[in-house]
Amino acid sequence: MDLNFLVIDDSVTMRRIVVNSLKSLGYSNYTEAVDGKDALAKLTGDQSISFIITDWNMPNMSGLELVKAIRSGSDRPAIPILMVTTRGVKEDIVEALQAKVSNYVVKPFTPQILKEKIDQILANLN
Amino acid sequence: MTKNMSEIFTKLNDLKNIFQFAEKIVPIIQSLIEFMQEMTPMLENINLSIEDSTNQMKQGTDRIENVTSATELATTEILDKVDEISNKLMAIEGCSKEISDKIGKKKALIQKLKEMLTGNDDALAIIDEFMEFDESSKFETIFSELGNINDDIFNITLSLQVQDITAQQLASVNHLISSVQGRLNSLINQIDKTNINEQVQVLQDEKTGIVFDPNASYTDKEGKQNKVDEIIDNQNQNQNVSQDDVDSLIDDSKKSASQDEIDKLFS
Repeated sequence: MDLNFLVIDDSVTMRRIVVNSLKSLGYSNYTEAVDGKDALAKLTGDQSISFIITDWNMPNMSGLELVKAIRSGSDRPAIPILMVTTRGVKEDIVEALQAKVSNYVVKPFTPQILKEKIDQILANLN
Repeated sequence: MTKNMSEIFTKLNDLKNIFQFAEKIVPIIQSLIEFMQEMTPMLENINLSIEDSTNQMKQGTDRIENVTSATELATTEILDKVDEISNKLMAIEGCSKEISDKIGKKKALIQKLKEMLTGNDDALAIIDEFMEFDESSKFETIFSELGNINDDIFNITLSLQVQDITAQQLASVNHLISSVQGRLNSLINQIDKTNINEQVQVLQDEKTGIVFDPNASYTDKEGKQNKVDEIIDNQNQNQNVSQDDVDSLIDDSKKSASQDEIDKLFS
Protein backbone atom coordinates (compact mmCIF):
# COMPACT_ATOMS: atom_id res chain seq x y z
CA MET A 1 0.00 0.00 0.00
CA ASP A 2 1.48 3.31 -1.11
CA LEU A 3 0.82 5.54 1.88
CA ASN A 4 1.06 9.32 1.84
CA PHE A 5 1.75 10.54 5.37
CA LEU A 6 0.92 13.85 7.00
CA VAL A 7 3.50 14.34 9.78
CA ILE A 8 2.44 16.96 12.34
CA ASP A 9 4.70 18.29 15.08
CA ASP A 10 5.65 21.80 16.18
CA SER A 11 9.22 20.58 16.77
CA VAL A 12 11.29 20.61 13.61
CA THR A 13 13.57 18.01 15.21
CA MET A 14 10.70 15.61 15.81
CA ARG A 15 9.29 16.08 12.32
CA ARG A 16 12.66 15.19 10.83
CA ILE A 17 13.04 12.16 13.10
CA VAL A 18 9.56 10.87 12.21
CA VAL A 19 10.21 11.48 8.50
CA ASN A 20 13.63 9.77 8.67
CA SER A 21 12.02 6.83 10.47
CA LEU A 22 9.34 6.58 7.77
CA LYS A 23 12.06 6.66 5.09
CA SER A 24 13.94 3.88 6.90
CA LEU A 25 10.70 1.85 6.79
CA GLY A 26 10.44 2.39 3.04
CA TYR A 27 7.82 5.15 3.02
CA SER A 28 8.84 8.14 0.92
CA ASN A 29 5.60 10.11 0.49
CA TYR A 30 4.99 12.64 3.20
CA THR A 31 3.85 16.18 3.93
CA GLU A 32 4.77 18.12 7.07
CA ALA A 33 2.61 20.42 9.20
CA VAL A 34 3.57 22.53 12.22
CA ASP A 35 0.30 22.30 14.18
CA GLY A 36 -3.28 21.07 14.00
CA LYS A 37 -4.51 24.13 12.14
CA ASP A 38 -1.81 23.82 9.48
CA ALA A 39 -2.59 20.09 9.25
CA LEU A 40 -6.30 20.65 8.66
CA ALA A 41 -5.50 23.09 5.84
CA LYS A 42 -3.07 20.62 4.24
CA LEU A 43 -5.49 17.73 4.67
CA THR A 44 -8.23 19.68 2.94
CA GLY A 45 -5.91 20.73 0.13
CA ASP A 46 -4.38 17.31 -0.53
CA GLN A 47 -6.79 14.41 -0.95
CA SER A 48 -3.89 11.98 -1.49
CA ILE A 49 -2.92 12.12 2.20
CA SER A 50 -3.84 8.71 3.56
CA PHE A 51 -2.25 8.47 7.01
CA ILE A 52 -1.75 11.00 9.81
CA ILE A 53 1.01 10.93 12.41
CA THR A 54 0.50 13.71 14.95
CA ASP A 55 2.00 15.08 18.13
CA TRP A 56 -0.34 16.11 20.98
CA ASN A 57 1.20 19.27 22.48
CA MET A 58 1.18 21.96 19.83
CA PRO A 59 0.26 25.64 19.71
CA ASN A 60 -2.82 26.97 17.86
CA MET A 61 -4.48 23.55 17.63
CA SER A 62 -3.37 20.51 19.62
CA GLY A 63 -3.18 16.99 18.26
CA LEU A 64 -6.23 15.99 20.28
CA GLU A 65 -8.24 18.92 18.95
CA LEU A 66 -7.13 17.92 15.45
CA VAL A 67 -8.30 14.33 15.97
CA LYS A 68 -11.69 15.55 17.22
CA ALA A 69 -11.99 17.97 14.29
CA ILE A 70 -11.15 15.26 11.74
CA ARG A 71 -13.40 12.61 13.28
CA SER A 72 -16.42 14.84 13.72
CA GLY A 73 -16.31 17.63 11.20
CA SER A 74 -14.12 16.80 8.22
CA ASP A 75 -14.72 15.04 4.91
CA ARG A 76 -12.11 12.39 5.91
CA PRO A 77 -13.50 11.08 9.23
CA ALA A 78 -12.04 7.57 8.85
CA ILE A 79 -8.44 8.48 7.98
CA PRO A 80 -5.93 6.57 10.18
CA ILE A 81 -4.42 8.74 12.90
CA LEU A 82 -1.41 7.70 14.95
CA MET A 83 -0.69 9.86 18.00
CA VAL A 84 3.05 10.15 18.81
CA THR A 85 3.50 12.08 22.05
CA THR A 86 5.36 12.42 25.33
CA ARG A 87 2.03 12.17 27.18
CA GLY A 88 1.99 8.70 28.70
CA VAL A 89 -0.45 8.89 31.61
CA LYS A 90 -3.59 6.77 31.43
CA GLU A 91 -5.92 9.78 31.60
CA ASP A 92 -4.38 11.12 28.38
CA ILE A 93 -4.54 7.76 26.61
CA VAL A 94 -8.19 7.30 27.55
CA GLU A 95 -8.93 10.81 26.30
CA ALA A 96 -7.18 10.04 23.02
CA LEU A 97 -9.12 6.77 22.70
CA GLN A 98 -12.40 8.54 23.30
CA ALA A 99 -11.42 11.01 20.57
CA LYS A 100 -10.89 7.94 18.32
CA VAL A 101 -7.18 7.96 17.57
CA SER A 102 -6.21 4.79 15.70
CA ASN A 103 -3.18 4.03 17.86
CA TYR A 104 -0.80 5.66 20.30
CA VAL A 105 3.00 5.79 20.61
CA VAL A 106 4.94 7.45 23.42
CA LYS A 107 8.14 9.40 22.76
CA PRO A 108 10.94 8.56 22.55
CA PHE A 109 10.00 5.92 19.99
CA THR A 110 11.88 3.57 17.70
CA PRO A 111 11.15 2.92 13.99
CA GLN A 112 10.23 -0.65 14.99
CA ILE A 113 7.44 0.62 17.26
CA LEU A 114 6.32 3.02 14.53
CA LYS A 115 6.20 0.18 11.99
CA GLU A 116 4.35 -2.07 14.41
CA LYS A 117 1.64 0.53 15.00
CA ILE A 118 1.32 1.49 11.32
CA ASP A 119 0.96 -2.21 10.42
CA GLN A 120 -1.63 -2.72 13.18
CA ILE A 121 -3.69 0.21 11.95
CA LEU A 122 -3.54 -0.97 8.34
CA ALA A 123 -4.47 -4.52 9.40
CA ASN A 124 -7.51 -3.17 11.27
CA LEU A 125 -8.56 -1.25 8.16
CA ASN A 126 -8.65 -4.41 6.05
CA MET B 1 -29.41 74.49 87.67
CA THR B 2 -28.11 71.85 90.12
CA LYS B 3 -28.99 69.20 87.59
CA ASN B 4 -27.08 71.05 84.88
CA MET B 5 -24.04 71.41 87.10
CA SER B 6 -24.19 67.72 87.91
CA GLU B 7 -24.21 66.90 84.19
CA ILE B 8 -21.23 69.21 83.61
CA PHE B 9 -19.28 67.49 86.39
CA THR B 10 -20.16 64.11 84.93
CA LYS B 11 -18.92 65.22 81.51
CA LEU B 12 -15.78 66.66 83.03
CA ASN B 13 -15.23 63.42 84.84
CA ASP B 14 -15.63 61.56 81.54
CA LEU B 15 -13.18 63.96 79.94
CA LYS B 16 -10.73 63.36 82.77
CA ASN B 17 -11.06 59.64 82.22
CA ILE B 18 -10.41 60.15 78.53
CA PHE B 19 -7.29 62.20 79.27
CA GLN B 20 -6.12 59.55 81.75
CA PHE B 21 -6.72 56.85 79.12
CA ALA B 22 -4.94 58.96 76.50
CA GLU B 23 -1.97 59.31 78.82
CA LYS B 24 -1.78 55.54 78.93
CA ILE B 25 -2.43 55.02 75.20
CA VAL B 26 -0.10 57.72 73.84
CA PRO B 27 3.11 55.75 74.58
CA ILE B 28 1.56 52.74 72.88
CA ILE B 29 0.64 54.82 69.84
CA GLN B 30 4.13 56.31 69.86
CA SER B 31 5.62 52.81 69.90
CA LEU B 32 3.30 51.83 67.08
CA ILE B 33 4.40 54.86 65.03
CA GLU B 34 8.05 54.04 65.72
CA PHE B 35 7.38 50.44 64.73
CA MET B 36 5.71 51.61 61.51
CA GLN B 37 8.63 53.95 60.85
CA GLU B 38 11.01 51.01 61.23
CA MET B 39 8.78 48.75 59.15
CA THR B 40 8.42 51.14 56.20
CA PRO B 41 12.03 50.80 54.98
CA MET B 42 11.82 47.06 55.59
CA LEU B 43 8.68 46.82 53.47
CA GLU B 44 10.35 48.96 50.82
CA ASN B 45 13.31 46.57 50.90
CA ILE B 46 10.98 43.60 50.52
CA ASN B 47 9.27 45.39 47.67
CA LEU B 48 12.58 46.12 45.96
CA SER B 49 13.76 42.59 46.60
CA ILE B 50 10.64 41.12 44.99
CA GLU B 51 10.97 43.55 42.10
CA ASP B 52 14.60 42.51 41.68
CA SER B 53 13.64 38.84 41.86
CA THR B 54 10.94 39.46 39.27
CA ASN B 55 13.49 40.97 36.90
CA GLN B 56 15.85 38.08 37.52
CA MET B 57 13.03 35.64 36.81
CA LYS B 58 12.49 37.32 33.46
CA GLN B 59 16.22 36.95 32.74
CA GLY B 60 16.04 33.31 33.85
CA THR B 61 13.12 32.48 31.57
CA ASP B 62 14.81 34.32 28.70
CA ARG B 63 17.95 32.24 29.23
CA ILE B 64 15.91 29.04 29.32
CA GLU B 65 14.26 30.04 26.05
CA ASN B 66 17.69 30.76 24.58
CA VAL B 67 18.88 27.31 25.67
CA THR B 68 15.86 25.71 23.95
CA SER B 69 16.50 27.69 20.75
CA ALA B 70 20.23 26.87 20.84
CA THR B 71 19.64 23.14 21.37
CA GLU B 72 17.08 23.10 18.58
CA LEU B 73 19.53 24.82 16.25
CA ALA B 74 22.35 22.47 17.28
CA THR B 75 20.07 19.45 16.83
CA THR B 76 19.10 20.64 13.36
CA GLU B 77 22.79 21.01 12.49
CA ILE B 78 23.49 17.50 13.79
CA LEU B 79 20.56 16.14 11.76
CA ASP B 80 21.90 17.94 8.67
CA LYS B 81 25.34 16.38 9.24
CA VAL B 82 23.81 12.95 9.88
CA ASP B 83 21.86 13.22 6.62
CA GLU B 84 25.05 14.29 4.85
CA ILE B 85 26.98 11.31 6.29
CA SER B 86 24.12 8.97 5.36
CA ASN B 87 24.14 10.26 1.80
CA LYS B 88 27.94 9.82 1.59
CA LEU B 89 27.62 6.30 2.96
CA MET B 90 24.97 5.54 0.38
CA ALA B 91 27.33 6.84 -2.31
CA ILE B 92 30.18 4.66 -0.95
CA GLU B 93 27.82 1.68 -0.80
CA GLY B 94 26.74 2.34 -4.41
CA CYS B 95 30.34 2.59 -5.64
CA SER B 96 31.35 -0.53 -3.72
CA LYS B 97 28.42 -2.44 -5.17
CA GLU B 98 29.41 -1.30 -8.66
CA ILE B 99 33.04 -2.37 -8.10
CA SER B 100 31.90 -5.68 -6.63
CA ASP B 101 29.64 -6.34 -9.64
CA LYS B 102 32.48 -5.51 -12.05
CA ILE B 103 34.87 -7.79 -10.19
CA GLY B 104 32.25 -10.52 -10.47
CA LYS B 105 32.07 -9.96 -14.23
CA LYS B 106 35.90 -9.99 -14.46
CA LYS B 107 35.98 -13.29 -12.59
CA ALA B 108 33.44 -14.75 -15.02
CA LEU B 109 35.59 -13.59 -17.95
CA ILE B 110 38.71 -15.06 -16.38
CA GLN B 111 36.87 -18.33 -15.93
CA LYS B 112 36.01 -18.27 -19.65
CA LEU B 113 39.64 -17.47 -20.43
CA LYS B 114 40.75 -20.44 -18.33
CA GLU B 115 38.43 -22.69 -20.30
CA MET B 116 39.89 -21.35 -23.55
CA LEU B 117 43.42 -21.98 -22.27
CA THR B 118 42.80 -25.58 -21.35
CA GLY B 119 46.05 -27.47 -21.90
CA ASN B 120 48.23 -24.38 -21.50
CA ASP B 121 49.40 -25.14 -18.00
CA ASP B 122 51.76 -22.17 -17.72
CA ALA B 123 49.02 -19.70 -18.64
CA LEU B 124 46.55 -21.41 -16.28
CA ALA B 125 49.13 -21.26 -13.45
CA ILE B 126 49.55 -17.51 -14.00
CA ILE B 127 45.76 -17.04 -13.98
CA ASP B 128 45.44 -19.08 -10.78
CA GLU B 129 48.22 -17.01 -9.19
CA PHE B 130 46.42 -13.83 -10.33
CA MET B 131 43.20 -15.07 -8.77
CA GLU B 132 44.96 -15.54 -5.45
CA PHE B 133 45.04 -11.74 -5.22
CA ASP B 134 41.28 -11.61 -5.49
CA GLU B 135 39.88 -9.74 -2.47
CA SER B 136 36.28 -9.60 -3.60
CA SER B 137 35.13 -11.63 -0.58
CA LYS B 138 36.03 -8.62 1.57
CA PHE B 139 33.14 -6.71 0.02
CA GLU B 140 30.81 -8.68 2.27
CA THR B 141 32.63 -7.23 5.29
CA ILE B 142 32.53 -3.76 3.74
CA PHE B 143 28.77 -3.98 3.10
CA SER B 144 28.17 -5.36 6.59
CA GLU B 145 30.20 -2.56 8.21
CA LEU B 146 28.47 0.07 6.07
CA GLY B 147 25.14 -1.33 7.30
CA ASN B 148 26.34 -1.14 10.92
CA ILE B 149 27.48 2.47 10.46
CA ASN B 150 24.10 3.33 8.93
CA ASP B 151 22.33 1.76 11.92
CA ASP B 152 24.57 3.66 14.36
CA ILE B 153 23.92 6.93 12.54
CA PHE B 154 20.19 6.29 12.58
CA ASN B 155 20.36 5.60 16.31
CA ILE B 156 22.03 9.02 16.75
CA THR B 157 19.03 10.52 14.93
CA LEU B 158 16.61 8.71 17.25
CA SER B 159 18.53 9.85 20.34
CA LEU B 160 17.97 13.43 19.25
CA GLN B 161 14.34 13.05 20.37
CA VAL B 162 15.81 14.11 23.70
CA GLN B 163 15.88 17.70 22.35
CA ASP B 164 12.08 17.85 21.99
CA ILE B 165 11.57 16.21 25.38
CA THR B 166 14.06 18.55 27.07
CA ALA B 167 12.46 21.56 25.38
CA GLN B 168 9.12 20.56 26.94
CA GLN B 169 10.74 20.12 30.33
CA LEU B 170 12.31 23.58 30.06
CA ALA B 171 8.99 25.08 28.96
CA SER B 172 7.46 23.48 32.04
CA VAL B 173 10.11 25.14 34.25
CA ASN B 174 9.41 28.48 32.55
CA HIS B 175 5.72 28.07 33.25
CA LEU B 176 6.52 27.32 36.88
CA ILE B 177 8.68 30.44 37.17
CA SER B 178 5.92 32.54 35.60
CA SER B 179 3.42 31.13 38.08
CA VAL B 180 5.69 31.98 41.03
CA GLN B 181 6.19 35.43 39.60
CA GLY B 182 2.42 35.86 39.33
CA ARG B 183 2.01 34.92 43.00
CA LEU B 184 4.76 37.34 44.02
CA ASN B 185 3.05 40.02 42.01
CA SER B 186 -0.24 39.44 43.83
CA LEU B 187 1.61 39.61 47.13
CA ILE B 188 3.39 42.85 46.33
CA ASN B 189 0.17 44.38 45.02
CA GLN B 190 -1.33 43.84 48.43
CA ILE B 191 1.58 45.73 50.02
CA ASP B 192 2.00 48.46 47.48
CA LYS B 193 1.08 49.32 43.93
CA THR B 194 4.18 48.96 41.79
CA ASN B 195 5.00 48.59 38.13
CA ILE B 196 5.79 44.89 38.62
CA ASN B 197 2.34 43.98 37.35
CA GLU B 198 3.22 45.21 33.87
CA GLN B 199 6.46 43.26 33.83
CA VAL B 200 4.75 40.05 34.92
CA GLN B 201 2.13 40.51 32.24
CA VAL B 202 4.82 40.81 29.59
CA LEU B 203 6.49 37.64 30.81
CA GLN B 204 3.23 35.67 30.89
CA ASP B 205 2.26 36.87 27.42
CA GLU B 206 5.57 35.64 26.06
CA LYS B 207 4.93 32.18 27.45
CA THR B 208 1.41 31.66 26.17
CA GLY B 209 2.59 30.14 22.87
CA ILE B 210 4.53 27.35 24.56
CA VAL B 211 2.70 24.05 24.79
CA PHE B 212 4.34 21.32 26.81
CA ASP B 213 3.91 18.09 28.71
CA PRO B 214 5.20 18.67 32.27
CA ASN B 215 5.77 14.91 32.61
CA ALA B 216 7.87 14.62 29.44
CA SER B 217 10.74 12.23 30.10
CA TYR B 218 13.49 10.54 28.10
CA THR B 219 13.96 7.65 30.52
CA ASP B 220 12.41 4.15 30.52
CA LYS B 221 11.59 4.28 26.80
CA GLU B 222 10.41 0.66 26.42
CA GLY B 223 8.64 0.55 29.78
CA LYS B 224 6.48 3.53 28.94
CA GLN B 225 5.45 2.18 25.56
CA ASN B 226 4.68 -1.22 27.10
CA LYS B 227 2.34 0.38 29.63
CA VAL B 228 0.61 2.33 26.86
CA ASP B 229 0.11 -0.85 24.81
CA GLU B 230 -1.31 -2.61 27.85
CA ILE B 231 -3.97 0.09 28.36
CA ILE B 232 -4.99 -0.02 24.71
CA ASP B 233 -5.17 -3.83 24.76
CA ASN B 234 -7.40 -3.72 27.83
CA GLN B 235 -9.65 -1.15 26.24
CA ASN B 236 -10.02 -3.07 22.99
CA GLN B 237 -10.78 -6.34 24.72
CA ASN B 238 -13.75 -4.55 26.22
CA GLN B 239 -15.35 -3.14 23.09
CA ASN B 240 -18.40 -1.99 25.03
CA VAL B 241 -16.54 -0.01 27.61
CA SER B 242 -18.62 0.87 30.61
CA GLN B 243 -18.32 4.15 32.43
CA ASP B 244 -16.95 2.15 35.36
CA ASP B 245 -14.12 0.91 33.15
CA VAL B 246 -13.32 4.43 32.05
CA ASP B 247 -13.62 5.70 35.62
CA SER B 248 -11.31 2.99 36.90
CA LEU B 249 -8.76 3.91 34.25
CA ILE B 250 -9.11 7.58 35.06
CA ASP B 251 -8.84 6.86 38.79
CA ASP B 252 -5.52 5.30 38.00
CA SER B 253 -4.71 8.03 35.54
CA LYS B 254 -1.75 9.67 37.17
CA LYS B 255 0.35 6.56 36.67
CA SER B 256 2.27 6.33 33.41
CA ALA B 257 0.78 3.81 31.05
CA SER B 258 2.88 1.08 29.47
CA GLN B 259 2.89 0.38 25.72
CA ASP B 260 1.38 -3.04 26.54
CA GLU B 261 -1.56 -1.31 28.22
CA ILE B 262 -1.97 0.98 25.22
CA ASP B 263 -1.76 -1.95 22.81
CA LYS B 264 -4.52 -3.75 24.70
CA LEU B 265 -6.75 -0.73 24.15
CA PHE B 266 -6.02 -0.46 20.44
CA SER B 267 -5.50 -4.06 19.31
